[in-house]
Amino acid sequence: MPSVAMRPYLAIARISWRSALAYRIPFVLSLCMMVFNLLAMLSLWRVLLASGHPLAGFTWPEMRAYLLVSFVTGCLVSSFTDFTMAFRIQSGLVALDLTQPVHYQRARFAQCLGMTVLESATAAVVCGAALAAFGAIPVPALPQLALFLVSLVAVVPLKFLIVYSSGLLCFWTHNYLGVSFARAAVSAVLSGALVPLVFFPGWLRILAEVLPFQGIASTPALIYLGQASGWDAVRLIGIQLLWIAVLWAGASAAWNAALRRLTIHGG
Amino acid sequence: MYRRSLGAHVRASLEYEADFWILVFGVGLSQCVGLVFIGAVFAKVPHINGWGLWEVVLMYSMMTIGQGCSELFAEGSWDLPMLVNRGELDRMLVRPYPVILQVCSFRLGMNAFGTLAVGTVLLVTALARLHVHWTPARAAIALLVFASALVVKVSLTVIANASAFWLRGTISTFAAGADQLGDLTRYPLTIYGVGLRAFLSTAVPFAFVGFFPAAWVLGHGQSAWVGLLTPLAAAYCVTVAVLAFRFGLRRYDSAGN
Amino acid sequence: MDEPLIRARALTKTFRRPDKGPGLAGSARHLITRKYTEHHAIDGIDLDVAAGEAVAYVGRNGAGKSTTVKLLTGILVPSSGEVRVAGVVPHQDRIANARNIGVVFGQRTQLWWDLPVRETFTLLRDMYRIPPERYRATLARLTEVLDLGPLLPVTGRKLSLGQRMRADLAAALLHEPPIVYLDEPTIGLDIEVKDRVREFLRDLVANGTTVLLTTHDLGDIEDVCRRIVIVDGGRIIHDGPLAAVRDELARERSMHVQPAVPVDLAAIRAALPGTEVSGEPGEFSIRFDRFAYSAGQVAAAVMGLAEIRDFRIDEPGIEDVVRRVYEGGLVESPTGAPA
Ligand SMILES: Nc1ncnc2c1ncn2[C@@H]1O[C@H](COP(=O)(O)OP(=O)(O)OP(=O)(O)O)[C@@H](O)[C@H]1O
Ligand SMILES: [Mg+2]
Repeated sequence: MPSVAMRPYLAIARISWRSALAYRIPFVLSLCMMVFNLLAMLSLWRVLLASGHPLAGFTWPEMRAYLLVSFVTGCLVSSFTDFTMAFRIQSGLVALDLTQPVHYQRARFAQCLGMTVLESATAAVVCGAALAAFGAIPVPALPQLALFLVSLVAVVPLKFLIVYSSGLLCFWTHNYLGVSFARAAVSAVLSGALVPLVFFPGWLRILAEVLPFQGIASTPALIYLGQASGWDAVRLIGIQLLWIAVLWAGASAAWNAALRRLTIHGG
Repeated sequence: MYRRSLGAHVRASLEYEADFWILVFGVGLSQCVGLVFIGAVFAKVPHINGWGLWEVVLMYSMMTIGQGCSELFAEGSWDLPMLVNRGELDRMLVRPYPVILQVCSFRLGMNAFGTLAVGTVLLVTALARLHVHWTPARAAIALLVFASALVVKVSLTVIANASAFWLRGTISTFAAGADQLGDLTRYPLTIYGVGLRAFLSTAVPFAFVGFFPAAWVLGHGQSAWVGLLTPLAAAYCVTVAVLAFRFGLRRYDSAGN
Repeated sequence: MDEPLIRARALTKTFRRPDKGPGLAGSARHLITRKYTEHHAIDGIDLDVAAGEAVAYVGRNGAGKSTTVKLLTGILVPSSGEVRVAGVVPHQDRIANARNIGVVFGQRTQLWWDLPVRETFTLLRDMYRIPPERYRATLARLTEVLDLGPLLPVTGRKLSLGQRMRADLAAALLHEPPIVYLDEPTIGLDIEVKDRVREFLRDLVANGTTVLLTTHDLGDIEDVCRRIVIVDGGRIIHDGPLAAVRDELARERSMHVQPAVPVDLAAIRAALPGTEVSGEPGEFSIRFDRFAYSAGQVAAAVMGLAEIRDFRIDEPGIEDVVRRVYEGGLVESPTGAPA
């Protein structure tokens, strides 16, 4: 029965949600602070698009929508997951995780899902405030909205896997901070979270197309705006799912390799 | 003593040379992200609210260097929540040295080297492109203003982290968020509404790290003279940081054993 | 007029603990109601320590020993009352106070985690502004008595508990402070290291250093201290010469006996009047006054009634001392503040 197998993971998800709540003040404030970045971007684009001329095909309301969607995807899967993981690996506490009768990767995913509940709630509140302050955004028609929701849900496992894979690098380097900085930088640029990918020169855009990062911001945002619709949207979602499968398998393999290393070298 | 403590950390960190380069690389990369953004935007528009590409890069570079200084001189303050929460501050309290300095030098942000490298390159490039009319007096004042700007940034980091005395968590998410607030001032302050502008130039004067000093050096805009107030802002921030520690330590509870 | 080196008057420290119910609901409720329980960790302590005195500060777990040390060192700000240490109010003039004192918290290292011990020492040298000559001489002496030679190049986190403790002691004493606070300096150490530490402390006291020593191990204080202060529930319940306590304690012994076959405890009570017999017929303890019976007499009396499979004699611990104080077994000293 699946529910029995799921039970430990549900417990993990619940605990991670709880621990975030225990530190509710820093948590809520930090998410509030992410808002400042959104605020800077909104203010900047409002000035740039004030004349009414679209830039690279974006009008002010569209850019608003783009920024909000990429803000929401940015809120999901915060770096709690990888930093706690990195801490446990480097301090050797991971040995305790290994004694738990759960699949490590699934357990981390469950942990991340627990946080996601809180993160999405917060993101929703912030979006409401932003809409009130900067004006409404166009809402797509129903079929397009459905496609958007699918791609938004796909962001969670995809982003988790990217974060998780980089966290696994802790087994090979002592300095996770550098890795996480690099990952955050690369994914900010190549996911389109920073600025829509059409603003980039051709070579950079091609690079973004072949890498998994676009799936964590650009894909849902473009689908929301209808800039990718019909089969185009389905194709983008397909790419998201493909990457989820590839990264899940790849991360499992990497975890096994790390485990061998851990048991051979004694951490 | 402060220097020696930091120096010892550099030596300790250099033991893992490969890791050091990973960090420098990662940090350099993350500092370039904003630059990619600025580049992408300026590829489509000639100026933002009247500020040209290199003018924005100048502000951006000041924020970057300020950040680097925080990492170099105040990285340990990020550990304050942990130190407070676990009662590790005890050992600093029994030593005859200001706790605020002991905390700041508790750890060295090796990322500082990456950040400072990127920031310096940007600053030099921007100044070279901007044709500022330099006189000895102007250069001297600019030096003072820039140095004060860096003090503002470092103090703000310390103040943000001093919140740990009141918040009592084990991680500095609040401080990290407050630090992100500074990212607002990587872009010209004029893009924001009046309220936010006032907030960023008085209560939490991040605008004195990049925007006002840059505006003064460039002689750009009506409020360019405000840049001359940067030393005052620095004095204000240092005072608040010291007071925050003084009052915070009164609340310090140590830990059960 | 001679002010004592350490002087505390009506010292109290109250901690506020968030009063949270269990689980999520509890957390949420706390967010709204913000209830706290006040906990008086230190509840009106008067303490005078003269220069050169060595005081044992003992009590049960949670009695308030560490909290007292933290108040005397300026780590914590008292909720009320006064403290002066060498004329300085520790929490107000922390830096001046820090120069006068050396502190060792046995449960927590003061070494820099990622630096070699030697680097830690040089850092401390600069922090305390110890003149190079003095530093060299003191370090040489400490290195010898504490056998630090092999530890100097080792990074703090790589030290074993005993090694760490020795390095910590040296770190606390490099600047030759006139006052030294030791909070459980022998916790978790093996007999050999313990002996070395005790010997070291004895020398320290002999050289005129004022020492306040907190411990659960009565062995620590026997050699080092001449005065014992007993705390319980944040109050001083006894304060007087160690010799008196020792004599009193030396009276009482416990013998734990496992007879081969169960015996009638009443018979043993009858055979050994004036003792206290507790336990089961299959395993029991006899508490006796050493001046009334010798251990041999007790054992003989039991053997007369049953064959003994195993037995063991316990010396009293801190808990017994505290119990005796409450039973009024100890003579109150004039300064003692009875609870
Ligand atoms: N930081 C703190 N916050 C809240 N309560 C505390 C704190 N420190 C100590 N206490 C409480 O104060 C009381 C006294 O603690 P203290 O550490 O002084 O005991 P102790 O005598 O040193 O005990 P032990 O022998 O176990 O070390 C305990 O009940 C403890 O729970
Ligand atoms: Mg204690």
